Amino acid sequence: MNTLDTYAENTWCPGCGNFGILNAFKKAIVKLEEKGINREYIVISAGIGCHAKIFDYLNISGLYSLHGRDIATIQGMKIANPELNVITFSGDGNAMGEGLAHTIFAAKRNFDMTLILHNNGVYALTTGQYTPLSEKGWKGPSTPKGSVEEPLNALAIMLEAGATFIARGFPGKQAHLTDIMVKAIEHKGFSFIEILQPTVAYNDTWQFYRENTEILEKEPKSFDEAMKNVKRKDKLPIGIFYRIKKPTFHEELYGNWNPVRNRISREKRFQLLKQYLT
Amino acid sequence: MKKAASVASQIFIERGRQVFQMDDYMSLIRGGHNFSVISTATRDIYSHYMKADLIINSDKRSYEMHADELDKNGLIIYNSDEIDNAEGIGVPFYSEAKKFPAKNLLYGVGAVAILACSIGISKNDLNEIIKREYPHFVEDNISFANFIYDYVFPKLNNKFEIENGDKKRPILTGNQSIAFGAIAGGLDVYFGYPMTPASSILHTLASQTDKFGLAIVHPENEIAVINMAIGSAFAGAKAMVGSSGGGFALMSEGFSLAGMTEAPVLCVLSMRPGPATGVPTYTEQGDLNFALNVGHGEFLRIVACPCSVKEAFYLSAEMLDLVWKFQTPGILLTEKHLSESSMTVDINMENTKWAEPKYHKNGNYKRYLDTEDGISPLLFPPSKNVIKWNSYEHDELGITTENPELITKMHNKRYKKDMHIIDFLKQLKTVNVYGNGGPLIFTYGSTTMSVLEALHYGDIEATIIQPIYLRPFPVWELERYKDEPVITIELSKMGQFTSLLKEKANIKSKNLINKYDGRPFDPIELAKKIKEVI
Repeated sequence: MNTLDTYAENTWCPGCGNFGILNAFKKAIVKLEEKGINREYIVISAGIGCHAKIFDYLNISGLYSLHGRDIATIQGMKIANPELNVITFSGDGNAMGEGLAHTIFAAKRNFDMTLILHNNGVYALTTGQYTPLSEKGWKGPSTPKGSVEEPLNALAIMLEAGATFIARGFPGKQAHLTDIMVKAIEHKGFSFIEILQPTVAYNDTWQFYRENTEILEKEPKSFDEAMKNVKRKDKLPIGIFYRIKKPTFHEELYGNWNPVRNRISREKRFQLLKQYLT
Repeated sequence: MKKAASVASQIFIERGRQVFQMDDYMSLIRGGHNFSVISTATRDIYSHYMKADLIINSDKRSYEMHADELDKNGLIIYNSDEIDNAEGIGVPFYSEAKKFPAKNLLYGVGAVAILACSIGISKNDLNEIIKREYPHFVEDNISFANFIYDYVFPKLNNKFEIENGDKKRPILTGNQSIAFGAIAGGLDVYFGYPMTPASSILHTLASQTDKFGLAIVHPENEIAVINMAIGSAFAGAKAMVGSSGGGFALMSEGFSLAGMTEAPVLCVLSMRPGPATGVPTYTEQGDLNFALNVGHGEFLRIVACPCSVKEAFYLSAEMLDLVWKFQTPGILLTEKHLSESSMTVDINMENTKWAEPKYHKNGNYKRYLDTEDGISPLLFPPSKNVIKWNSYEHDELGITTENPELITKMHNKRYKKDMHIIDFLKQLKTVNVYGNGGPLIFTYGSTTMSVLEALHYGDIEATIIQPIYLRPFPVWELERYKDEPVITIELSKMGQFTSLLKEKANIKSKNLINKYDGRPFDPIELAKKIKEVI
C-alpha cells in the first residue's frame, strides 16, 4: 500500500493542532479502507490558510483550491462523478468568512460531502487577525483595540441551514476524532465537523480545551436537543450532535446517473440534436 | 409579443424563407414597451430592418414610437380603442379582446391573424396555426383570430405577395445555438447563475438534461459557478459556464484558478451595455478588453467571438475542444444581439469538433509533467495514481513550491502552451473574410452581420474582415493589411476593437463607426454611415 505521506516539508509550528487533525485523518482513511471505501475513491480539497497545508501532506488526489472556494470545488467534483467521496478541509476564515455562502448552500442542498473545519479562532497564516468565530475583543493586527463583533456559532448555523450530520472534535482526543471522521465520511449527505484546533503561535488553547471539552454521553435525539448542545458555553461538548437521513443533492438532481461514466456518445447526441437542427 | 413574433417567423419558415428576428424588451416582467422585428428574405439575411412593411401596434405608446419606421409602401395597424383616426388601419383590439377571459394574451393572436391575412394565408390555414401554437383556450383564440382576420381582410388581403423560398430551415437563438453546439462538442455539465442575456443558455440546457445526460446546476452565485466547473473538470467532465459582464467579473478569481491549475473550462460571456448593471436587456461590445485580460497573473487565455447564430454553434464546440486540448480557460465572447436574436440556420453537425484532450497512458503519473509543448497528459480519479491540481505554484507532481527554479520552470512550462497554440490556430479558420475589392472594413462578433446586411442593402462593394479569435490574436492572417487604410465598425464608445487591431496587428483605422445606445446597427442607417466614409 502506498504511504499516505508526501515528500512535502511540513511547515506547521511544532505543537500545532493541525498535526492531530492530519494524524486522525490518516487513521480514518485506513479505517475506511477496512470498510471497503478505497482511497482511490476519496478526493480532497482545501482552502487557503494554515489548515490547507494538509493538502500537500496527504498523498491523496484532489485540488488545492482558493480561499473559501474549496467548498464549491469539491461539489463540482462530485456532480461530475458521484462515485467519488469528497472531503474538504477548511479554516474558520475560509468556510465561515470568505466561503460562507458556499458552506450554507452546501448544507442547504444536503450535498453529499464532508467539511472538516479547522477552527482555531484566528487567521494564523496572515499573522493573527480575528476570524468570524473569534470571541469578541480579540486583539490582532487589524483590531488592535479588540474585535467589536460577536462570533458566529458554526454548528448552530449548519444545523439551521440543513446539514444532516454535525459533529465536533478535538485533536487531543485522537481516537474519538478519528471515529467522528470515519462516520462523517460514511454519512450520505452533508457532514460537518468542527475541530477545536489549538494554534500555538497565536491562540494556544491546548490547556483550555483539555479542561473544557467533554465527550457527549449520548447522541442528541432531536434537532432542538442538538441545538441546545452546540450552543453550550459552560462546557464544550464533543461528539456527534445530529445525524439524519435525507436525499442528497446529486440524487435529487439526476438519480443514479453519472455524467462522466454514462456520457452519451457523439453519434447519439447528433441523432438527438436532429430534431432542433433540421 | 415574443410568442407572436416566433409564430410569425415560423409562418415564413414554413414557406422556405430565411428569417432574422430581433426581440427588444425592457428589464421588467410585465408591461412596459416590448417589440419584435422580423425580417425575411429568400436569401441569407443577417439583420432585422427597423424600416418595416407591416407594423402591428397593440397600444398607443407603440404606435407613437414606431409610426415613423413604416416603409413608404407599408401598412401600420393601431389599436382603435386607444387612438382615433390615425394614419393606418385601426383595429379594436381591446373592445374585442375583453369579451374573452385571457384578453391580454389575445393581442399576440391578433397580430398573427393580421400577418396571415396580409400575406394571403387562408382562414383555414390560420386556424391550423392557432391550434398548433395557442392550444390554451384554443376556441377563444380561434374566435378572436377570425374576428381580426375578417376585420382587416378588405384592406389587407394578400397585400404583400411573398414568394416561397428554397427549403424549410430550423430557427435558433444565438444562445440555443451555443447550447446545442456545446452538446454536440461533448458538454457534460453546465453551471450558471441567471443573468441576462446569458440566462437562456442555462434554460435551454436545463430543458435538455435527461435527453443528453447532462448535469445542469444553478448554485448560489457566479463564484460557485466557476469553482464548481473547475472541480468538475478535475473529475473529467467537460464543463461550461455562462454569464454577462457583472457575473463574469465575479468569476475572474476562479478564471485565474483555472489558469494556474490548468483546468479546462469554457466560459460564455454575453455582453450587455455596462459598466455595472448597465442596461440589462440591450446590446454592446464594451467588455472586449475585460474578456481579453480577465484573471490575475500570467496564463494562456483563449477568446473567440462568433459572428452569427450558425458560427456560434461550431465555435462553442471548437472552443470546448481547445480549452481541453490546451487545459486552460477560454471565453466564448458574444453579445445580447447574437444571444437573443433568432435566425434560420443550415448546420451540418458532422463539421463539429469533439473535445478530445491528451490522456495519460500508463506508468507513474505527474499532473504537471513538463512536456515539449507544455501540455501535461490528463488522468482522472478514481485512480491508483495520485492526481493533484494546485492553485499555489507547484512542482510537476502538484505539490506546493516556493523554490525559485521551480517557479521559473513551471512558468516556462505553461508558457509553452502560449507558443504551441499559435501553431495550432494557424491550422484553423481564425478570420472570416467576406467579399473582395473595395475598401477594407474590420469588425467582429454580431456587428459583422449588421455590416453584411448594410453592404447588401446599400449595394456597397467592400471587403469585411472579421477576426473570430481575439486572443491569441491571429496576426498571421492580418499582416497583409497593416499598411492599408481601413474602416472599423463596433458597438463601443472607446473603440476597443479598433485599439486591439492597432496594438496587435498595427492596423490603423481611418474611420471608426461606432454605436453605444444599446441597440444594434440598423442596416439602412449603417449603409449610410459607410457611404459617408468611403
